[in-house]
Amino acid sequence: MKKKNTEKDGSFLSSFKNVFSFFFLLGRKSKKTKVFYILSFIPVIMALIVKFGQVFASRSSLTGIYVFSNFIMTFYLQFIILILALFFGTSVCSEELEGRTLPYLTTRPVSKASFILGKYAAYTLLIVAMTVVGVILCFFILNFDQLGDLSLYKILFRDTAVLVLGLVCYTSLFTFIGTFIKRSIMFGLIFSFGWENVIQYFPGSTQRFAIVHYLKSMLPSPSSGRFSFLLFRLEPTPPFLAVIILILITAAFLGLACAVFNFKEYILEE
Amino acid sequence: MKAVIMTEKLSKWYGNILGLSDVTLDIEAGITGLLGPNGAGKSTFLKLVTGQIKANIGSVRINGEEVRNNHRLFSKIGFCPESDSFYEEMTGWEFVTGLLKLHGLSSSEREKKALKALGIVDLEKNKDRRIKTYSRGMRQRLKFAQAIAHEPEILILDEPLNGLDPLGRRKLIRLIKSLRDEGKTVIVSSHVLPEIEAMTNDIILIHQGKIFAQGDIHYIRDLIDAHPHMISVKCSDPRKVASRFIKEDFILNIDFSSEKDTFVVKTNNRDEFFSRLPRIFIEENIDVKEITSPDDNLQAVFDYLIGE
Repeated sequence: MKKKNTEKDGSFLSSFKNVFSFFFLLGRKSKKTKVFYILSFIPVIMALIVKFGQVFASRSSLTGIYVFSNFIMTFYLQFIILILALFFGTSVCSEELEGRTLPYLTTRPVSKASFILGKYAAYTLLIVAMTVVGVILCFFILNFDQLGDLSLYKILFRDTAVLVLGLVCYTSLFTFIGTFIKRSIMFGLIFSFGWENVIQYFPGSTQRFAIVHYLKSMLPSPSSGRFSFLLFRLEPTPPFLAVIILILITAAFLGLACAVFNFKEYILEE
Repeated sequence: MKAVIMTEKLSKWYGNILGLSDVTLDIEAGITGLLGPNGAGKSTFLKLVTGQIKANIGSVRINGEEVRNNHRLFSKIGFCPESDSFYEEMTGWEFVTGLLKLHGLSSSEREKKALKALGIVDLEKNKDRRIKTYSRGMRQRLKFAQAIAHEPEILILDEPLNGLDPLGRRKLIRLIKSLRDEGKTVIVSSHVLPEIEAMTNDIILIHQGKIFAQGDIHYIRDLIDAHPHMISVKCSDPRKVASRFIKEDFILNIDFSSEKDTFVVKTNNRDEFFSRLPRIFIEENIDVKEITSPDDNLQAVFDYLIGE
């Protein structure tokens, strides 16, 4: 019986699953999750305001799906997914150090890689759920009068998939940063709202050093109009290649995060 | 008896600060007390033994296996950290069952073991309360519960009695002794000698990152007894009491320079002093306000022993 347990303890998949469920429960209960859940609902409130404006003013010529696409760009792609990935990704490691709870985990029969990957997966699922719920609500509110149009659901699916891919990729990057930089939030803010916002507009191959370049490459070309600058991109990467690159980036950063966490020595401050 | 934990030339620096220096030890089954003043290197030693930090020089082996990055070994080890840190939003039950989950136990096994561990530390009734609402003593007991819940063969307890009331301390000491009787290996650190003394005779003295002595507690007890003690007595007539002691051989010095109603005695026979004191109070009809021992702590004893 004991032997069986030891074997079970050593299995990577079993450890990953156990770490995942531990942190999924913890993540759901944490204050941080509640705060960010409210934050992720800001676009929903905005959608309600816009829709009420359209219904009662009866002057807007903008279609629901046009406003929805711009919501995706303005609120989600360039703000909410970055903020969520930053705060949840960096905390995979840093909250254990700041809260001095790391010894409870590193003195268990789970490998350090399964700890990083399990917690990453738990937190990513939480923020994906937060984002997707908000996006779907925005979609239904803004397209309230066109819900019978099935082609709109294709757009919803595509945009949601791009956001999920963005969350998966950004969270892996910030998980990696959190394992070796002490002030990872500051670094992450500079990266998110400095590097990502600027580099994507550089011509040539430089723009390919921004994750957002690949995310935008999966969205359609900008339509003309007031918000078209938000979708502006120079030389998009083919969508299929963009997906592959995003998956590779994710795998690389997760691999690095596991390696750093395995070899780095964390001294908890008293 | 075969050594369970073996360290060889273990040394650790934090930058230029020495954490531990050249520690070679063989720890056998039973309770081993790790005794030393705050900052002596006890926690560093325990962190090295549990593989939380890397040694600059030397090695730690448990049952012959290297500890660092050997996560499989931790199914046999229970660790109670010193710091008062928890996942505050969780309940005590979620905390213990959640950590048991990391041992790969089935749901029914987890529940059974968590219930048993929480019962041992008297937290059954409060298991569904959030940890952030627990008192200091409850938190300390919860930390202990998570360390014993998976029934490890080796227990490493960093200052486990901190924050416990006298009753809680007594109970935990009894519990630690019962673990020894089950054949487990327990390392307990403390900076309070009587705490260690109540649990074991087998001690390791650590000071300034070095092992100062290892062996029977009577050795250190004898050293401490030979160390001149300062005893402060606050009473209604300090001069009258002091005059009864002045000619005794075991009194080295009497000082009245502190407060008006206080005198401080320096003695090399504390037991004799304390056996005579109550009789004098009664005979002279003296009101006693306070009796304290200003240097009765481990740091003072260590300073004395190393000649500082």
